[in-house]
Amino acid sequence: MIEKLVPFQVIVPVLGAMSLLIVQHVAHKLVRAMALLWSLIGLAITAIIAINFDWSTGGSFETLVTIPWAENLGLEFGFGYDSISLCLVMLTSLMMPLITIASWSAVVKRIAEFHIWLLMLEAAMIGVFLATDIIFFYVCFEFTLIPMFFLIGIWGSSRRLQAAKMFFLYTFAGSMITLVGIIYVAWFHANLHGGEWTFGIKALTASAQQMSYHEQFWVMMAFLAGFAPKVPLFPVHTWLPLAHTEAPMAGSVDLAAVLLKLGTYGILRFALPMCPLAAIVIAPYITVLAIIGILYTALICWVQSDIKKLVAYSSVSHMGFCVMGMFAFNATGVAGSVTYMINHGLSTGALFICIGMMYERFHTRDMNQMSGLIRAMPIWGGFTVFFTLASVGLPGLNGFISEFLCLVGAFTARDVLGPPYAIVAGIGMIFAAMYLLYMVGRVVFGPLKLPSTEQTDKGGHVIAPAAKIADLTPREIGTLIPLAVLCLYLGLYPKPLLQSLAAPIETLTRPVQTALEQQRAERANLEKDASNTNNPIETIDATDTIDAAMKFNVTPDNTMTIHTLSADATRFATPVASDTMTIQSVATHHIAGVSP
Amino acid sequence: MIESMHAVTLGHFLMTGAILFVLGLIGFVTRRNLIIMFLCTEMMFQGVAITLIAFSKFHMNMSGQTFVIFLLTVAAAESAMALGLVVLLFRRKRSLDSQVWAQMAG
Amino acid sequence: MTTLAPWISWFPALAAVLCGVCCFKPTLRNYAAPICVIGIFAAFISSLLVINGMDTHGTLHATAFEWIVVGDFVANFSYFIDPLTMIMLMVVTGIGTLVAIYAAGYMRGDRGYARFFFGVSLFVFAMLTLVLADNLVLLYLGWEGVGLCSYLLIGYYYDKPSAVAAAKKAFIVNRIGDLGFAAGIFFCYTTFGTVTMSGDGGIIEQARGMLESGYPVSTATLWIPFLLMLGAFGKSAQLPLYVWLPDAMEGPTPVSALIHAATMVTAGVYMIARMLPVFELSPYALPTVACVGGATAIFAATIALCQYDIKRIYAYSTVSQLGYMFIGVGALSTAGGVFHLFTHAFFKALLFLTAGSVMHALAGQLDLRKMSGLRHKMPVTCWLMFVGCLALAGFPFLAGFYSKDMILAAALQQGLDGHNTMFVVLAIVGLVTALLTAYYTFRLWFRVFMGPEQFEMGEDHHGDDGDTGHDDAHGHAGENVGGPHEMPWLMNGPLVVLALGALLAGVLGQHWIVDNVSHSTAAPHVAHGAHGADHGDGHHGSLLFGMDLHLAMQLISGCIALLGILIAWYFHLQNRAAADRWATRLSGVVTLLENKWYVDEIYDAVIVSPLRALARGFWWIDDKIINGVVMVIAAIPPLLGRAAQPWQRGQLQGYGLTMAAGIAILAFLIIVSVL
Repeated sequence: MIEKLVPFQVIVPVLGAMSLLIVQHVAHKLVRAMALLWSLIGLAITAIIAINFDWSTGGSFETLVTIPWAENLGLEFGFGYDSISLCLVMLTSLMMPLITIASWSAVVKRIAEFHIWLLMLEAAMIGVFLATDIIFFYVCFEFTLIPMFFLIGIWGSSRRLQAAKMFFLYTFAGSMITLVGIIYVAWFHANLHGGEWTFGIKALTASAQQMSYHEQFWVMMAFLAGFAPKVPLFPVHTWLPLAHTEAPMAGSVDLAAVLLKLGTYGILRFALPMCPLAAIVIAPYITVLAIIGILYTALICWVQSDIKKLVAYSSVSHMGFCVMGMFAFNATGVAGSVTYMINHGLSTGALFICIGMMYERFHTRDMNQMSGLIRAMPIWGGFTVFFTLASVGLPGLNGFISEFLCLVGAFTARDVLGPPYAIVAGIGMIFAAMYLLYMVGRVVFGPLKLPSTEQTDKGGHVIAPAAKIADLTPREIGTLIPLAVLCLYLGLYPKPLLQSLAAPIETLTRPVQTALEQQRAERANLEKDASNTNNPIETIDATDTIDAAMKFNVTPDNTMTIHTLSADATRFATPVASDTMTIQSVATHHIAGVSP
Repeated sequence: MIESMHAVTLGHFLMTGAILFVLGLIGFVTRRNLIIMFLCTEMMFQGVAITLIAFSKFHMNMSGQTFVIFLLTVAAAESAMALGLVVLLFRRKRSLDSQVWAQMAG
Repeated sequence: MTTLAPWISWFPALAAVLCGVCCFKPTLRNYAAPICVIGIFAAFISSLLVINGMDTHGTLHATAFEWIVVGDFVANFSYFIDPLTMIMLMVVTGIGTLVAIYAAGYMRGDRGYARFFFGVSLFVFAMLTLVLADNLVLLYLGWEGVGLCSYLLIGYYYDKPSAVAAAKKAFIVNRIGDLGFAAGIFFCYTTFGTVTMSGDGGIIEQARGMLESGYPVSTATLWIPFLLMLGAFGKSAQLPLYVWLPDAMEGPTPVSALIHAATMVTAGVYMIARMLPVFELSPYALPTVACVGGATAIFAATIALCQYDIKRIYAYSTVSQLGYMFIGVGALSTAGGVFHLFTHAFFKALLFLTAGSVMHALAGQLDLRKMSGLRHKMPVTCWLMFVGCLALAGFPFLAGFYSKDMILAAALQQGLDGHNTMFVVLAIVGLVTALLTAYYTFRLWFRVFMGPEQFEMGEDHHGDDGDTGHDDAHGHAGENVGGPHEMPWLMNGPLVVLALGALLAGVLGQHWIVDNVSHSTAAPHVAHGAHGADHGDGHHGSLLFGMDLHLAMQLISGCIALLGILIAWYFHLQNRAAADRWATRLSGVVTLLENKWYVDEIYDAVIVSPLRALARGFWWIDDKIINGVVMVIAAIPPLLGRAAQPWQRGQLQGYGLTMAAGIAILAFLIIVSVL
């Protein structure tokens, strides 16, 4: 019964948009109320599904409901979810009413249209997460561009047209290539199964793993072409600051909270399980890009004077951690990555709401024009500081959990990444503190300085007197409280979330893990052969290999350097006896053997 | 024998259609008067229609002829529309020269 | 009553939530102080109950709830209480309660009254989490949590740009250390397979096992202590990361007393003591700790000599005293280090709070040169500070005397027994620092309270809000008219308790501390190093001047303290002109010290400015180059379009011709393919 509700998560916002289309000429208040109502219905449906979801197992991403589309082509609208999808859907449905309320007074022109595009955007984003059919996924993925394009292009600020164009081109150009990749995978599947075409994600994933390394590599590149600009990964990130800065508040929030996650979600759902061999090979390169992104954009944040641009660049920096965790392929890293998607959505989304509230009062984003706003708006200041701290990754708030897990994951990722990656990325934590506290110190704290809110015409005549600056209204406080509560809750008690994510993450990373284990076994065999044949004196035997891998030298005069800790070294020093044993368990055994 | 000499084959019909079509095409490309150009396109049309009827007759398939009946109806409607448009264009510029309508130049 | 154990730290957390509510309702503002005091006091009482319910030298594990569980990475809100934790619990909750009571009076009438107590309650929560944590990640939560509260409270007067800058600096410098700490945690996880510290299979047990089985030196175990150490240096303001602490004095004085003197800054010492077996795994770790401690001790003491801001003098003094603690821990005398932590908490809190009283009385005046002879105006404060100064100077039989002596004796003993010249040097450095300490402490006291009475009121910077306070009996407006006056007993009461602590903590606490530490994870590994002495009973091998090392050290340091006080007495009470003469004669040195060795300027020039330049460069690259490349690529399709544009002439005939050509080509292709 509950299953039947699943498609309605997508259908309801579409219905909402249609109803607004019909009644768009009624009073503004009514339009907003209707938009809110529809988004609340969507939230309610998501809530019902979430309540009935078996969180302990994490779901299986089976297709629950199918709506026929073009059956002779193997196309259908398949709906299904696991805990990863559901969490992201929940995030989307939660953000929707919040931004509708938050934009209550911020949007003054073409109100009905605005809410229509927002609802369409919601439908598309939820469709992306719920699709069990890859073409359905792709259609939704692409469709998100259209509402966002109009949201930026119509309701944005001064450079909105350029921003909208850039946003569209960046994300559209890449995803064309992704489509080619998808079709190749489907074609491969059809070849494998005697010409029977399907686009079901599960079936495609299963057969895609049988592709050769080269095929996998190119499919991986095709996926990354579409997903990397969305994340955004380092060299293809420049659309984001502009789009964020120019978008209206609701657009920025949706962009930060959900749209960026489409990229990481796509990588996790398709790229990793479909191309495990390629994933292993490119992991270090992608991670290096991610780390460059973390540090480079963090520094750029530090010299911004446009507050929205600062937070936008911080998104690039933060998503770098998300990508790094994902390419660690282990339980901790990927769990950190998935929680990062949610946590970044909450805290950065909330920051954009805070900035939007400020912008609504002062109509400027220039940090040089304001200072010490907490004196005039203490509640706003309190919330801004809170969400900034969540974004900085303060332990006890949500950002920390994911950032820490990503770093642990990268640090312990055997054969792929290793300590150097994690430690260099960790510098991002310092930079994050630097630029975000710089922002807070500049805008929230300091001596009070308000930007002039007087509006003058071209001749300098005052056409609107300076408005009195009021602190947040109960409506605005109401939008921020749920986000603050969630930030705190996920920071202090992430256990249920982490637990329910474990199984789907296991499923998605298993192909990579299997491939890694095979490679380890092969290497160990090579090692053995080498030690048997070539020069037995210089090569260490299997037991010593374990020791080296565990970083326990037996003799103090062993001249092992820090290089041993890098991924390269551990790659060749692998336990032969038990491939499935983790470093940790072997280490424990080792110590247990040593100590009396 | 003579009869066979004078027998009209499919080739004749196709040739007639092709000549009509080509004449129309040449007229369309070389003339600048909008009405003449329009009549030329009608000629090309009829060339195609003849071809269709010929195929229909020689292949014993009536759908071709049916199609041409449709085609004629549509052509009638279309020519009414097109002439109307030409009149409109004439009223705008007081000229039937096709050269005056070159806004699509890049 | 051990069932209370998991909830000790949550009493202040609850208080923080309630104070947070008070922040938003001006009518509730005045309830914040009692809520905070009760919250911290409840933690104090519950710790007492828990300790009472435990066996002597017993340990206790308790889990509040599960936190991060991913695969085999488990970090819960689980707590561990052993004798070392008990000491820390007493210090944090005890001093915390006293400071909160004092602050209730001190902060009265301030605009952010509730916000202040929110910060203090949250701080105590984080600090208790830090000392109670059973795993490194939870410890890290407390570690960063205290850093956050420090940030919020240093920046309490957010209108002052200097306060905001200081707060930011504190957080960022701490973060640098924290990165090291986090890396240390990762290494611990990969090496030991867990982040849990205590219990079977915990890091400490494993490290003990490795120590007992000889010296299994490995790269990981070599590195872990150094990374953890970096965190400790950041939090405990040691070289090279000490720069934030003096600036942190921008915060309200009770904050300086509680966070930046008594508790938070000692977290590094606590952490090293707690993880001692891990530090012992690396033969170079503890000597490094001791060296850094020694260098910081004397370096900060020299700066303190020439400062004029009372609170800054105490701040540098704190840095210097923390250096002592690190010498102690580094010389394997964790008992000494923790003992000094314990006594220092009393007398430094006392000193800061009395300094706060002076500042309060003089409407924010902190400049030594603008006050003198205040003993008649503020007799109680005067003598309370005197007690604190004596204790800090290491005057015989006061708190600081015993603990400082214990550290120096341990260092000397390490040096003599282990034939390690470095530790002998450290002991001598410690003695020189003791002389400097005695001098600058009494320089301050003689200047402020003795001599001719004269003072200049400051521009009170924290009572300037318009909406409350001025009708209050202790509001600053009244003071500015009436001149300095003694504090009410709400504020002096806690000071008396602290003064008693400063007088007696050394005599009474020594045995308790040594006994507790030797039964905790901080007990040095017995078979370690060249010496086999047990620190617990004061039995040592080496002799100095034919005396037991401790006795000899007590004699020497007692004399040195007296000497320092005498010099201060001569220059700053008897003959102040002589002091000025010397200052002009040594103007080069004085300028250098007044400017704190120009460390801030050097850091700025070497690290901050280049980094900012780099950031600007990156921005330029992003804006111009990367964006430029994209724009160039984006310009290609329009260019192609423009190239094809002339073909489009808008002539109907042209279209017809093109169509004809198309048909012709098609026909040609068909014909060719048929043939």
